Amino acid sequence: MAGSETVIQEYPDIAIRLNVNGRDYVVTVKPYERLIDVLRYKLGFTSVKEGCGRGECGACVVLMDGKLVPSCLVLAIRANGSKIVTLEGLAPEGKLHAIQKAFLDTLGVQCGFCFPGVIIATKYLLDRVSDPSDEDIKNYLEGQLCRCGSYLRFIKAVKLAVKYIKEGKIYFDLKEVKG
Amino acid sequence: MRGWGIQRFNVYIPSSLEDALKVLSEKGSEVTLLAGGTDVLVLARTNIVKLKLVLDLWPLRKELSYVKKEDGYIKIGALTTIDEIYNSFLTKDRRYYGFHDLYWNFGTPYLRNLATAGGNIGTAHPLSDLSILLLTLGAEVKLTSISGERWVPLEKMFLDIRRLNRRPDEMITEIRFRETPENSSTALMKLDRRKGHAMGYIVTAAYMALEGDTIANVRIAFDSTGKPYPGRAYKTEEFLRGKELSLETIREAYNVLEKEMTRISDYRAPAEYRVDLSKVLMKRCLLLIKSRIEGGV
Ligand SMILES: Cc1cc2nc3c(=O)[nH]c(=O)nc-3n(C[C@H](O)[C@H](O)[C@H](O)COP(=O)(O)OP(=O)(O)OC[C@H]3O[C@@H](n4cnc5c(N)ncnc54)[C@H](O)[C@@H]3O)c2cc1C
Ligand code: FES
Ligand code: FES
Repeated sequence: MAGSETVIQEYPDIAIRLNVNGRDYVVTVKPYERLIDVLRYKLGFTSVKEGCGRGECGACVVLMDGKLVPSCLVLAIRANGSKIVTLEGLAPEGKLHAIQKAFLDTLGVQCGFCFPGVIIATKYLLDRVSDPSDEDIKNYLEGQLCRCGSYLRFIKAVKLAVKYIKEGKIYFDLKEVKG
Repeated sequence: MRGWGIQRFNVYIPSSLEDALKVLSEKGSEVTLLAGGTDVLVLARTNIVKLKLVLDLWPLRKELSYVKKEDGYIKIGALTTIDEIYNSFLTKDRRYYGFHDLYWNFGTPYLRNLATAGGNIGTAHPLSDLSILLLTLGAEVKLTSISGERWVPLEKMFLDIRRLNRRPDEMITEIRFRETPENSSTALMKLDRRKGHAMGYIVTAAYMALEGDTIANVRIAFDSTGKPYPGRAYKTEEFLRGKELSLETIREAYNVLEKEMTRISDYRAPAEYRVDLSKVLMKRCLLLIKSRIEGGV
């Protein structure tokens, strides 16, 4: 009816459709829920970490329609209809992606809390720059805070990942991974 | 609330700009506009801002995300992200290399994918890099409501820290500035202990047009010149206009800047240091612009 006041229902349940790591999900969420909470607690993608919850640390980053975003600052309803990639989706079941293998080989990771974010940010980098310079790596990983200070190893690891990918080694069997 | 949601609030998802404006006109005073959310959701997370009804502007990106040249103006849609501005023609045109500086100084890659032009102005916060750069381009802001639209010069948009000159029924829909002459360029600089992911003790941007060695026009903006929001150094600009660009001239301009600028002292830096840095960054910006006009990067 023209001129009628817009009625807004209080905290309704909203069904959203997400494609996470290639699989479709329909989830019911509240308007104020964050994407990070839906991914972690409703869908079980616990690689997505909450470091700060305020866009500063990069632990929660995921690819949303190919763009790197902090899932702590995205409302779940905004992700409706989008394709999300988390660490779990980088390689098929039982395999590791070249980036993961490279970080393990270079001991690029210490406690590991920042690791999922760093790997997803590296994927975002390599999707854009196939042979990054040290400067490119620093620019793309500048928002990935690491409490253990593994920063120099990140650079080594990204370079090794590039080498694997150039050799056509995208996925590795878990058996090939040491440790 | 840790780990689950931010606060409890409702979200209105508009189907079009018109729909959004209608909701704003009816419920403006209780509405919080949500663009990229990189500011407002952080404030909500830390309970500095209480959200009641959020108007999600993201669906309006189909109408309001663009960078285009039209009628002698450069126009930027309010919902254009920092990443999209970087990927536009602006960063390929040496007059607007300041947008290059903006991108590489702005937050982190994942923030640049969310943070919008309208949201940067909307924060009315001193450390709003895009606003500082746009001030040097003499930008104007389009405020739209259901009853019409009006253009406001960007420098008139800020009333106080986090207080924007906007009626509750209005939203920013576009930012525009006149295309600048061939012999001009822009620059933005930030100084902090580290390069990446830095707020900056101070942020400085400048626009300058040269005729030979003479400063035909110049605008200089800082994160603050006294008020707690971005502002221009009008007297310093006036002093520089028409003079020959040289280190000598810039050094003389230091005295003018020092008089017209008031800086705060806090745990990050004392006021005196901030004034010193402001002078140095102003010099560096002007020299960088000169080199950009002459063909440098
Ligand atoms: C870790 C971190 C680092 C940051 N680094 C930087 C930096 O380097 N440089 C910098 O400038 N900023 C930085 N910011 C601040 C912030 O990202 C920017 O100000 C950004 O441009 C805000 O845009 P947004 O779209 O996310 O705004 P939102 O958070 O969605 O909104 C910000 C404010 O503007 C209002 N608003 C939004 N859109 C409109 C509109 N169309 N009309 C009217 N009002 C509107 C909102 O109601 C709100 O009050 C940083 C933030 C974080 C968390
Ligand atoms: S948890 Fe999202 S950026 Fe830190
Ligand atoms: S390895 Fe511990 S935070 Fe990075």
